[in-house]
Amino acid sequence: MAAQEIPNLKTLLASRRGGPPRGRGRPRGLPHTAHQGSGSTTSDALRDNAVRGTDQDAAGSRVSCVELGYLHDPYARLFATQAATRRLPLLNRGTYVRTSAIDTLVDNFLTTAPATPKQIVSLGAGTDTRFFRLRDKYPDTHIVYHEIDFPTNTAAKLVNLQRHPQLHSKLSSVSSKAPPNPLSLPPAATTYHSPTYNIHSLDLRSLASDDDTPAPMLPNLDPSTPTLLLSEMCLIYLQAPVVSKILATFLQTYMPAPTPVALVLYEPILPNDAFGRTMISNLLTRNIHLPTLLTYPELGDQRQRLRSYGFSDGVRAADTRFIWRDWVSEAEKERVAGLEMLDEHEELDLLLMHYCVAWGWRDGGEEHVFERAWKGVGEQEDG
Amino acid sequence: MSIGGSDLDKAITQLRACRPIPENQVRELCYKARELLIEEGNVVGVDAPVTICGDIHGQFHDLMELFRVGGDVPDTNYLFMGDFVDRGFYSLESFLLLLCLKVRYPDRITLIRGNHESRQITTVYGFYDECLRKYGSANVWRYCCEVFDYLALGALVSGAATSLSPTDGPIADNTNIDSLPDPDSEIEIETLNANGEIMYRYARNSDSQSNTASQGTSNPASSSPIAPTPSRTGPAGTGATSSANGSSRNDTGAVLCVHGGLSPLIDTIDKIRLLDRKQEVPHEGAMCDLLWSDPDEIDGWGLSPRGAGFLFGADIVKCFNHKNDLSLIARAHQLVMEGFKEMFESTIVTVWSAPNYCYRCGNVAAILELGEDGSNAGFVRRSNGERGGGGGGWVLGSNDGPNRNGGGGPNDNRRLSSVLGDSMQRTRDGPGRRYRVFEAAPQDSRGMPAKKPVADYFL
Repeated sequence: MAAQEIPNLKTLLASRRGGPPRGRGRPRGLPHTAHQGSGSTTSDALRDNAVRGTDQDAAGSRVSCVELGYLHDPYARLFATQAATRRLPLLNRGTYVRTSAIDTLVDNFLTTAPATPKQIVSLGAGTDTRFFRLRDKYPDTHIVYHEIDFPTNTAAKLVNLQRHPQLHSKLSSVSSKAPPNPLSLPPAATTYHSPTYNIHSLDLRSLASDDDTPAPMLPNLDPSTPTLLLSEMCLIYLQAPVVSKILATFLQTYMPAPTPVALVLYEPILPNDAFGRTMISNLLTRNIHLPTLLTYPELGDQRQRLRSYGFSDGVRAADTRFIWRDWVSEAEKERVAGLEMLDEHEELDLLLMHYCVAWGWRDGGEEHVFERAWKGVGEQEDG
Repeated sequence: MSIGGSDLDKAITQLRACRPIPENQVRELCYKARELLIEEGNVVGVDAPVTICGDIHGQFHDLMELFRVGGDVPDTNYLFMGDFVDRGFYSLESFLLLLCLKVRYPDRITLIRGNHESRQITTVYGFYDECLRKYGSANVWRYCCEVFDYLALGALVSGAATSLSPTDGPIADNTNIDSLPDPDSEIEIETLNANGEIMYRYARNSDSQSNTASQGTSNPASSSPIAPTPSRTGPAGTGATSSANGSSRNDTGAVLCVHGGLSPLIDTIDKIRLLDRKQEVPHEGAMCDLLWSDPDEIDGWGLSPRGAGFLFGADIVKCFNHKNDLSLIARAHQLVMEGFKEMFESTIVTVWSAPNYCYRCGNVAAILELGEDGSNAGFVRRSNGERGGGGGGWVLGSNDGPNRNGGGGPNDNRRLSSVLGDSMQRTRDGPGRRYRVFEAAPQDSRGMPAKKPVADYFL
């Protein structure tokens, strides 16, 4: 149905796992549609509504996982104020695998060369809680964290930051002077900057402009600190050439060689089998388009893609079924399996093998931080 | 209010339109159903011909498609192996319709219990919420759960023919006609698509060369992306010697139908008969296992990743079938992308009847038709109306099939063996098996709610 429609990037990006930027975390009636002036049509509005629905699903899935004990994340429910609905065990398991897989790669990065400062850039971060979880887990590590998202999303996030002391109390830096108190921000703020935590209000496509317009300034983004780029269901919503340009901007302009840079992707794969075709058609009915899914249908394509961006020192990929089997320890598997009776194993396998984590890196300097960080992380042979 | 006679027919009409019936009628229906079911043993005896169906899971419009493909009740004799409810959006209408048909035509439809016919599971997987949403109270859910407790645990089909008469239906487009076995040969397996067109045939005694290619080109389901198909390197010695495969036995054994599978606590069907089934499905024990277990490529018994029931291997099935004079176990419980899957040299088959499961999986569904042994009938009409196999009927099973245990040519088509197993080395003649494969009912007739109740994908 939607081949003729141009995806509305704004709404699509809002649908990442983080949860709904609008209509949650703030009382009903507060203005949250002011931004829709840009080319807002009836169809856009409908799409907004559809995506808002999936947002709530995603945020709820996360809270469901936390409340059932799959994940430890005291911040998840601060961003999801609606009453949590318990999700099916299948979805809880999938959310668990996804989150813990990315945690594994991030943890290994942060614990390698612990004295070296580290930078993380979360693309389309939405209401992701990773920064706050990392602050708890690695209080002594020098982490500079950046989130990039559309103004609607960043504004909503800042509202939550201002509201919850558990969140804004985490913003104090290890080393530097006290960061600005978010409570002092104006009500409609969409950006926040500090030595440790930065929220950039930005359309990612502006990093892919064709002309000679210089890339927008990202305050506190350090050009020489080893940097991990995270795209959890984000770049999948953009066209492949746009994604290439965005990556080029990061790898050549923001953090030129020899700065070590890596990218971790989480997104669906295998669009061409029965499950994949059904997924595409189901998501289209919800106005969700996944342009690069067909461009990079298999794990091998994902690796090749990472190589083409310039991650020349290593490219790896594994589907989440493999990750559940290979990365999760037996004890942890037993713990998770004991949380709920799961009566949907065949379906779970199907679902998990249609999502992958792909990671690639450019180590640059002598430290080989990424190679050391991820040398023990198993990837899938086939595909 | 009574729900006998014409009221029942009215309720059936209403439910066929996917409209729930009033709560008081549900109560009455459930009461009558329980009266009926309490008379059934734990293992219901069913005579062939019968059409065996797997999980439905509230996919009402696909159940209607099943009836279109397999024939309507009471024309076709049906056996449903449980999991009527949960996951789909119309568990209530699906289950109540089947229950109405059971009360109306008790001898033409058999319902056995699946692991989802349980209070505990339905509160997690959707049926409870659906009842609450549709009636505003949990009463209807409670009535239905009381019926669940009375459903039989299994069924034993006897009198099935050993071979099929070929339908005279047209050949499906993709089928290579040269690959079909000789029309005179004894047909053991035939697969038809939803329009009754022949997708492939498998002759009991033909050399396998002649009938593998058709499957290779016509099976609509590409190789399953589920767990990799276990390699079937031939079951040399796996129990093939234990059976008296002599010419003295040339009829087929009975077919046991059960939702999940076997139990280490059950070595004879009589032991199933002795269970006290009128209760919530327990967390462990024989009754639980029958509803929860899965066959797997292991030796003996294994722990189930489901947290209930067990995994059981080929040796267990062959031993059980031999001991109980069975030729086949038919079960459901596991999603199969191709709709059905025979395992362990066709001693057990999984039948899955929920196409595009959860509106997400993209799988096809299947039903299994067993014909009637011809010893007393000759020709049995498949009363399938105008649809289906082109009016083909079940002709006498020819009971004098030669002993064909001598190891026919190995089946060199992987995809065929992935679905059918290798039936060349069975120890006991299985019944002739006709699978009808069908896809999900068209979207527009499904009337899917605009708002999905669950997050379908990770976004």
